[in-house]
Amino acid sequence: MEPDRLLGTMTAVAKDRWSRRTRAIALAAVLLAGARTLGQAPPVAAPPAQASSAAIDLSGYWTPALHEDSTERGAGPEMADYSGLPLNEAGRLFALSYDPSRLTLRHHQCDGYVAPYQMRALGNSRAWEERDPHTHQLVAIHWFSQTFEGKRTIWMDGRAHPPAYAPHSWMGFSTGRFVGTALAVRTTHLKQGWFTRNGVPESDQATLQEFFVRRGDHLTHTVVVTDPVYLEEPLVRTTDYARQPVDHQNWLFPCDDGEQVLDRAPDNVPNYLFGQNPGVAEYRKKHPTAQSGHLGGGATIYPAFASGPPRNESALERPAGGARVASVAVNPEPTDGEVHVLRVRDNVYMLVGDGGNIVVQVGAEGPFVVDTGTGRLADKTIAAIARLSSRPIQFIANTSFHADRTGGNLKLRTSGADPSVRGTFFSLQFPGAGIGATIMSHQNVANRMNNAKAASDAVPTDTYLEERRRTFHNGDAIELFWAPNAVTDGDSLVHFRRADVIVAGNVFTTTRFPFIDVANGGTVDGEIRALNDILAKTVYEHQGQGGTLVVPGHGYLSDEHEVVEYRDMVVIVRDRIRALVRTGATLEQVKAARPTADYDTRYGALTGPWTTEMFVEAVYRTLRK
Amino acid sequence: MRALLTGLVLASSIAIVDAQRGAPPAPPQAPRNAAPIDLTGYWIPLITEDWRYRVVTPPAGDYTSVPMNPAARKIAASWDPARDEAAGEQCRGYGVGGVMRLPGRLRITWQDDRTLKIETEAGSQVRTLAFGGSTVAPTADGDWQGVSRASWDRPEGPMGSGAIFGGGGFGAGRASGGSLKVVTTGMKPGYLRKNGVPYSASAVITEYFDRFDLDGGDVLMVVATETVDPTYLSQPYWTSTHFKRQANATGWNPTACSAR
Repeated sequence: MEPDRLLGTMTAVAKDRWSRRTRAIALAAVLLAGARTLGQAPPVAAPPAQASSAAIDLSGYWTPALHEDSTERGAGPEMADYSGLPLNEAGRLFALSYDPSRLTLRHHQCDGYVAPYQMRALGNSRAWEERDPHTHQLVAIHWFSQTFEGKRTIWMDGRAHPPAYAPHSWMGFSTGRFVGTALAVRTTHLKQGWFTRNGVPESDQATLQEFFVRRGDHLTHTVVVTDPVYLEEPLVRTTDYARQPVDHQNWLFPCDDGEQVLDRAPDNVPNYLFGQNPGVAEYRKKHPTAQSGHLGGGATIYPAFASGPPRNESALERPAGGARVASVAVNPEPTDGEVHVLRVRDNVYMLVGDGGNIVVQVGAEGPFVVDTGTGRLADKTIAAIARLSSRPIQFIANTSFHADRTGGNLKLRTSGADPSVRGTFFSLQFPGAGIGATIMSHQNVANRMNNAKAASDAVPTDTYLEERRRTFHNGDAIELFWAPNAVTDGDSLVHFRRADVIVAGNVFTTTRFPFIDVANGGTVDGEIRALNDILAKTVYEHQGQGGTLVVPGHGYLSDEHEVVEYRDMVVIVRDRIRALVRTGATLEQVKAARPTADYDTRYGALTGPWTTEMFVEAVYRTLRK
Repeated sequence: MRALLTGLVLASSIAIVDAQRGAPPAPPQAPRNAAPIDLTGYWIPLITEDWRYRVVTPPAGDYTSVPMNPAARKIAASWDPARDEAAGEQCRGYGVGGVMRLPGRLRITWQDDRTLKIETEAGSQVRTLAFGGSTVAPTADGDWQGVSRASWDRPEGPMGSGAIFGGGGFGAGRASGGSLKVVTTGMKPGYLRKNGVPYSASAVITEYFDRFDLDGGDVLMVVATETVDPTYLSQPYWTSTHFKRQANATGWNPTACSAR
């Protein structure tokens, strides 16, 4: 009997579980007999060899072997020892600028480790599988590390990586698949962290390729870190783990920040000016035979360096003269002509695509919108908001008068309505009141838009003059805080208190140096104050990440870590330029000194509306006032 | 239906076993033809770990990371490169226990169908990795590279490697890919590091060679090494060393051993 026919017959007559089982065994017996017959007559068509990959089970407790780089991974690296790291100029100068006292700053005290460093860290790890309860297909592999409670999730279900404007985290977003002997993992969306604990940076642009190979109780982890911001070439590291038979029951790594240095000025970020890191001399004194190459670099990791002439390390302690470097970071803003929606938290959304991030809060009342983009895609923005709420836009808040914040004002306002003023005495005086959304901002935004002859319907009408404007809308307390003389003289930070989302406008971006518009009241110290104002309102969820979310004017959805790194950058560049100004340096001399050299590959621009030189000049001019 | 499928699996598995019993054994493939991964070519080390101990000869007394026992420390404390040179043993740091960590390229070729050969730039050493059945005799007192026995280490398939009732689960066949496993013994005593960190003639060194093809076209080879030496080590010494494949022989420049 044909198996299919037999199967059909059996299925048709099966009435209960026991009968099915009985008949199945009968069928198996029939097939078995046939198979035996076939098996006696070679050649036999054995099942084709499946070129499938092994499913590698990482489950269990793992302890890292510290037979490589044990000092660096254990007690910690020496200052100015960057050996074995293929750093580029920016990475090296960032590290040389790093003062360990930076970790005493409140917002750095609980910084976690980024994934590649976590995998090198001391402490035990635990791995387990997550399987679909119905299909038992592997959904994810989890890897939890004792140090800093670093928890990785490696998605095994084929899901796609998030868009570039999605948040970053210490562990990033990882997907895996089994390839040959290995679990192969790809990771994106990492936060900025470090390659080593002496300040050698790993940027938020880093991506990982990893391979986990297990042989019994021995696991070898290989990671390839590609970081064009701080590396000349990918960094490859391999780490061995030994499987432990028991749970050591010690998995927590508590951290709470607090005051470690009292009365420190809020704009004090410990750093060394170029050429002034005391760790360099200490290292060379301690390791006279390994001086050449201790500041890292791509060439130093190859055999030719070992046999070549000694390198002049001192020449590497300052920026190279004449170099002009632009950002190599991925632009997180889509350029496909569409408006993309990312849920931030609860009823708050981020709209990306129209040349500047837009935030929309929805609820029982009309949408509350923060900023309106350039307006080139205003119709699509309105359509996207309409998909989030059936009500017309009720409020628009502008964080600044700049065109990327207000460009869509006219269309978005016109599409909306503010029912809160209809039927009031106000509407009796102004018949048009409530027709169209109400636009809020600091008064200086309205002043500058009026001075620029903006369309009257695009200009904010609900303005404030001091400290803050507050309202309760869609079930949340919303506050606009004035950030005087930051990017301009009319910047606002918008805080959705219940959702705990801060909209930073152009005070904070992840894409460029701050656009300090000196002509319109911007100053570097005001910018630093504004960034610190954001940090005064944020609370991280765990190990320095999560919690309060911050929507930048441009770039990816962030939390306080991105803001604090940005704040540090502005302060450090300010300190360098201020030191030069105090020596009487001219603007050209300041530019030639390249005070942004360690940040150029991340934020720099040689062309466009806001170049590195414009930023340096803005800082210089406000410090000269 | 579920029971039916179980029956089908049982039946086909038994059929496989019977088929294998009934067929004459196929001649084993030569290791070269059976290689699950291609390790041949030129490989350059990426010295991103233990840099200070690998790129330069570390100073005497700097043994960081190596789990030495007191006997090893005593030996290392008496390290004298001049003495090694005078004894004609300037290659002590280039033996199988140390040569893979030194700053130099590797050239890997098939010497014959059953023997892989690793030539090192550092110290111009030659390692021969003999697969089962191959005969590579050690020198009378063993040489720096000892006797290396090689095998392909293949991962088990998704359902295990063994046939039914064979103890390995229901699956048949192996997964794709694999590693090269090398176990080396019988070497002359040498140095794990050039500054005199010793290993003994009784050490057993087990290595696994893996190959990873990266996005963008680069190829990595990772050599995970376990050195077991109760004479001088308080625990197995684990390192993993990585190399990037080179397209050709550019830069290949074997050098002589140096005790310093």
